[in-house]
Amino acid sequence: MSDGRLSPTAGSGQIVVSGLTKVYRNVRAVDNLSFTVAPGRVTGFLGPNGAGKTTTLRMLLNLVTPTGGTATIGGARYADLSQPIRHVGAVLEASSAHKGRTGINHLRVTCAAAGLPKQRADEALALVGLTPAAKRKFKGYSLGMKQRLGIAAAMLGDPQVLILDEPANGLDPEGIRWMRGFLKALAAEGRTVLVSSHLLSEMQLLADDVVIIAAGKLVRQGQVDEVVGSMAQTGRVRVRTPQGAELTTALTGNGARVTQGEDGVLLIEGTDAPAVGRAALAAKVELHELSTERPDLEGVFLELTAGKAGIR
Amino acid sequence: MNLVRSELLKIRTTNTWWVFGLITLPLWGLTLLINYFQSQAVLDPASVGVPESEQNAQFQAAGEHVNVAANLYTNGQFFGVLIVMLLGVLVVTNEFFHQTATTTFLTTPHRTAVVLAKLIAAGILGLIFWVVTTGLNLIFTPLILGSLDVSSQLGEGAIWQAIGLNGLAYLLWAIFGIGFGVLIRSQIGATVTALLVYLAGYIGAIIVLAILADRFGDWINNLQLIVPSLASQLMATGTDLPGSPPRWAGAAVMVAYAVVTGTIGTLIMRKRDVS
Repeated sequence: MSDGRLSPTAGSGQIVVSGLTKVYRNVRAVDNLSFTVAPGRVTGFLGPNGAGKTTTLRMLLNLVTPTGGTATIGGARYADLSQPIRHVGAVLEASSAHKGRTGINHLRVTCAAAGLPKQRADEALALVGLTPAAKRKFKGYSLGMKQRLGIAAAMLGDPQVLILDEPANGLDPEGIRWMRGFLKALAAEGRTVLVSSHLLSEMQLLADDVVIIAAGKLVRQGQVDEVVGSMAQTGRVRVRTPQGAELTTALTGNGARVTQGEDGVLLIEGTDAPAVGRAALAAKVELHELSTERPDLEGVFLELTAGKAGIR
Repeated sequence: MNLVRSELLKIRTTNTWWVFGLITLPLWGLTLLINYFQSQAVLDPASVGVPESEQNAQFQAAGEHVNVAANLYTNGQFFGVLIVMLLGVLVVTNEFFHQTATTTFLTTPHRTAVVLAKLIAAGILGLIFWVVTTGLNLIFTPLILGSLDVSSQLGEGAIWQAIGLNGLAYLLWAIFGIGFGVLIRSQIGATVTALLVYLAGYIGAIIVLAILADRFGDWINNLQLIVPSLASQLMATGTDLPGSPPRWAGAAVMVAYAVVTGTIGTLIMRKRDVS
């Protein structure tokens, strides 16, 4: 760390959440939640609005006191870490800096409090490509620059573990791609990266593992492929044909379920693409398109959290 | 120590401190002018037409050279401690207003240490304001006294006591500011409340105490001790004035207030969820 290089510090960066509960007056914001996050991987933390994602992350970081349960990082509670920002970097709100303070001074304040050398502020700013805006005041920053500054602050202590709450919010496509590459690279170095988000398509590109919660409870945890695969063993077959009626008759004879889409599109379940192609050939039906629809995280997420979302 | 450095850096890296400094200077000048006229009046009552019958013991005590001088050497306290208190309020409420509390507590999960650092930083800030105004007073007061045919009085121990107690007042009001900021997280709410407590408490208490003293006797005047703004003014008088509680009592009350607000503030900050 002292040389300022981005090398993971020694020790395990495993996050263990166990029986975590937070009750606000009558609402169980987080309800007996347990999951683990492994080092060397990007873990997506997903849930509908109000599911308790932010509260969980804040309990993990000792900002909110749990009603029950524990949350540890590398085996220790956040409050018990001797120099926490050297172990854990967190990005929570986009707008968490004084509006009249420059970006570089925002970082220097944290360096001073943590006893880090002042140069770490410059290094962290360079790491996120914000050096040209170092001496500009925070109120002049765009949303994307604010997010980058937040990440710079999290990287000051060269931490083994990174925790980010909705980091893609307000980023433009270029910014999102940069963030994806940045976080993947950190995970590849062996760090633990936990990212909460509701942007599911982005998560499918970014995350190795997912933890899905709804209404404060764990819904599913596992590798992205596994979770997606478990929900839809066989994909849906999509066919476009001018002879929809003939094909439907041919297919339903084989026990498949066919639903009519727009523009002569048929969506077929209960069979696979080769079988549909064979049936079409046998029935002399002309096909303009034949493909298998891959199940995606979004579909799985909506299915898993159906009826559990919303205002509580 | 790192934390105090960080807190001072927070203050230094925004324009608040010099804006407040700029506000303080004209207010200091205004009170100097008022105190100049007042000094003239108490040193030579006849010249400004105060009838002899009104010149009671308290008036005469106030007219003693050392007390006139003490008043001038501690000039600017009325607004100075107010500004310092508001700076203390901002040191805490900025963290919530600008949502930097999260970063602060992530860097230092031991919140007691954070509050202590803020108390020390605000105290240092208060003392800087005291040093600057005292420096100005040490330049201008001998000039004013000279024009009124009074020596500088700087040989009197009572003057240096008054200046020292004035410094204590700046320190303690800065601590009150932190206390207000912790108790009332809303920046506007805390600022307005602090202002009201200071100004309304000052004027209101004088009126209420005067009425009560009329009704129940002079001992009521001792109650001015429990009003912080009056207690701190009491601290900066040159010698003990007849009919007023002793200066050390004012100081003791102020310290007690500071300890109570500081402790309550720390306890609240330790418990509170930051979101």
